[in-house]
Amino acid sequence: MERIVGIDLGTTNSLVAVLETDGPRVLTEPETGARLLPSAVAFLPGGEVVVGRRARELAPDHPFEAILSVKRFMGLGFEHVSDDDRRRYRFVDQRAGAVRFAVGDRAVTPPEVSAHILRELKRWAEHALGGPVTKAVITVPAYFNDSQRQATKDAGRLAGLEVLRLVNEPTAAALAYGLDKREEGTIAVYDLGGGTFDISVLKLRAGVFEVLATNGDTRLGGDDLDARLAEVVLAELPPELAGRPSVRARARAAAERAKLALSDQAQTEVALDLPEIGRQARAAITRHDFEHLVRDIVTRTVAPCRQVLKDAGVEAREVQEVVAVGGSTRVPFVRRQIAEIFGRPALVDIDPDEVVALGAGIQAGILSGGRRDMLLLDVVPLSLGIETMGGVFTRLIDRNTTIPATVKETFTTAVDSQTSVDVHVLQGERELAADNRSLARFKIPIAALPAGVPRLEVTFLVDANGILSVTAADMRTGLERSVEVKPSYGLTEEEMERMLEESIDHAEDDVRQRQLREARVEADVILAATRQSLATHGPVLVPGEGDAIGAAVAGLEAARSGEDYVQIRDAIDALSRATEPFARRVMDESLREALASRRLEEL
Amino acid sequence: MDGNEQERQCWRCGSTNIRGGPVCPHCEAPQPLPPGSDLFTVLGLPRKLVLDTDDLERRYHAGARALHPDRHQTAEPRARELSERASAVLNRAYRTLRDPVARGRYWLELHGSPLHVDNKEVPAALAADVFETQEQLEDLRTSPTPERHAEVRRVRDALAARLRGLKDDLSGLYAGANGDGLLGELKRRLSEIAYLRTLLGDIDSALGDECGADSRH
Repeated sequence: MERIVGIDLGTTNSLVAVLETDGPRVLTEPETGARLLPSAVAFLPGGEVVVGRRARELAPDHPFEAILSVKRFMGLGFEHVSDDDRRRYRFVDQRAGAVRFAVGDRAVTPPEVSAHILRELKRWAEHALGGPVTKAVITVPAYFNDSQRQATKDAGRLAGLEVLRLVNEPTAAALAYGLDKREEGTIAVYDLGGGTFDISVLKLRAGVFEVLATNGDTRLGGDDLDARLAEVVLAELPPELAGRPSVRARARAAAERAKLALSDQAQTEVALDLPEIGRQARAAITRHDFEHLVRDIVTRTVAPCRQVLKDAGVEAREVQEVVAVGGSTRVPFVRRQIAEIFGRPALVDIDPDEVVALGAGIQAGILSGGRRDMLLLDVVPLSLGIETMGGVFTRLIDRNTTIPATVKETFTTAVDSQTSVDVHVLQGERELAADNRSLARFKIPIAALPAGVPRLEVTFLVDANGILSVTAADMRTGLERSVEVKPSYGLTEEEMERMLEESIDHAEDDVRQRQLREARVEADVILAATRQSLATHGPVLVPGEGDAIGAAVAGLEAARSGEDYVQIRDAIDALSRATEPFARRVMDESLREALASRRLEEL
Repeated sequence: MDGNEQERQCWRCGSTNIRGGPVCPHCEAPQPLPPGSDLFTVLGLPRKLVLDTDDLERRYHAGARALHPDRHQTAEPRARELSERASAVLNRAYRTLRDPVARGRYWLELHGSPLHVDNKEVPAALAADVFETQEQLEDLRTSPTPERHAEVRRVRDALAARLRGLKDDLSGLYAGANGDGLLGELKRRLSEIAYLRTLLGDIDSALGDECGADSRH
């Protein structure tokens, strides 16, 4: 049976894991054995797309084309993009729909960018498991809203993966820990990732993982610590230089290295080299300075922690374990903050970079029927509701309601002969509709009747992925009505179709690029070897042979400078054939020499 | 009292005698809710206000293990849809019955006498306190002083204690519940609780004690 994989699609790094009989296992990159795939995608001129480590290395030279934290943009509209981010990347200026990055002459949406990361992980998994992989569980921050979840699901679909379940990251981490320790009781998961913060409180009992409440901030993460630290070294440069995107990208990379160093040592240096302009900038920083610098960022995690305890109806001292997840929880100051809130040190038995992926792998195993002893009961992170008279937000499903959750609401018409009812669905905790996040607008057709006579029953269902769907039924006829959905910041079905077609083209493109690169490397090897042989064994050539080989070499060189890998392969074959008799004679001669020298030694 | 004694047939495997269980005992397909179900019957409980919370949790977990979409991921669309709908009802049943206040309100609904949240009428027992508190809040808003702040905080604590007391008293009412006076008494107490909750919410926002639930704004 085909295996279901678990994917941690992170802001900074992504991983893929699978559940084996002896527990979850992270799958690695076939070529290097790497466990983490940097969540970086670079769109190069000529259409080549580079993913992972190489894409991240390209960022300083291609600041607008190499996208490093695409997760921050999932499910957003152009108007939600911060000023900082607008300086960091180029966006298509548009009023509606999903935000689009302007890379070269292309416009790409966050789900398309994420799909490249997922496709690479799919390749890793297919190689490791030795067969096709088309089904996955993908993790998302618990505090992701409906649009962000839908965008993640879209990314999976574009990558050729059926997303069977979106699992909340802290919940996945709890699964990984629970499997490990068979715990019972109340635990908290503090998850400070690259770009998002989640805090969840769960009750564990007899294999059931029941999320009591969750809270967080989808715009708070380790990236923010790096950005703050980068400013320190940028301050050493003249403003016009410090403002350059390529310099800023380098400063962020230097800041990240310094942050990691400060987890183990009391002081370090943020070192920024700009060789092409012959400049350097260095700033010494102590752990104490760093903590002072980022105090307000880390402190922003306190209010969500308090709120989650309140919502869960649990006192801090009743929490038996606090699990730390996300690379940023390696920062000692963050650890102290956790200990201060919960009155106990955080548990870090499992690598905080891998724990979410391992949990996703377990959930994949649960879905395929491999772990019937475990069950996850998660919640919707933000209240869902509709806009009612006067722009008021009317809650239909409260935050922290266990999912799946459903609610029915009856609608009628306000004027005579009205032929449709408009429903505006939003998500958030604020009183006014305008202050919450718009998810979608629905237009529900209705029979033309006097005002107030039609009765429309609308069912809102939040599925186990935390994604909303809407169905409507005419209560007079009992007929189900189709609901036309217009996602506020998502992709429409037509956009998805078009992207799917394009992604198939691009998948072919990507394969072609890979083949081309491999063929060129092979051409270089055979060309170098031929030249070497001709130089040392020239006398072995028979008349006319030199010319034939020379022509084949010229043919391969010409093909190599072209873009067609099939032509290169053909030219490689032609050169091999042309050199074959020569190579055999060279071999014979070498052998004779070797034998001759042996005889001399034996004598 | 297991809700539905009448013989039903599994829509998938056709086996009869599946009783009122959430899934077919033979093929594990989720079943549509029997007609006349309510939040008590979906958990296999008798319609009674008094219940054992440990038993409630056990029933909920057993139901969730059988019905949750995770268990029917590889099944046909109808099974997946039924699993989703039935899980949603089961979740609501547990959340409602677990909390004595929500259980009481559901009881009123079930008996055709729902409590309206937007009840503008102040419960008689609270009238004096409400009037005084509103005045204190108004004073705090117009000219906040540390003394007024401390005073409102004291009032808040007293009202919170009263709310706790009212909630604790519910179990006594539920244990002895029987007879005609129950609905009226239940409604009176629940409207007091609802009113106190609103009042405490007002006080908290006046004191600025709100934890930012949605810190993204």
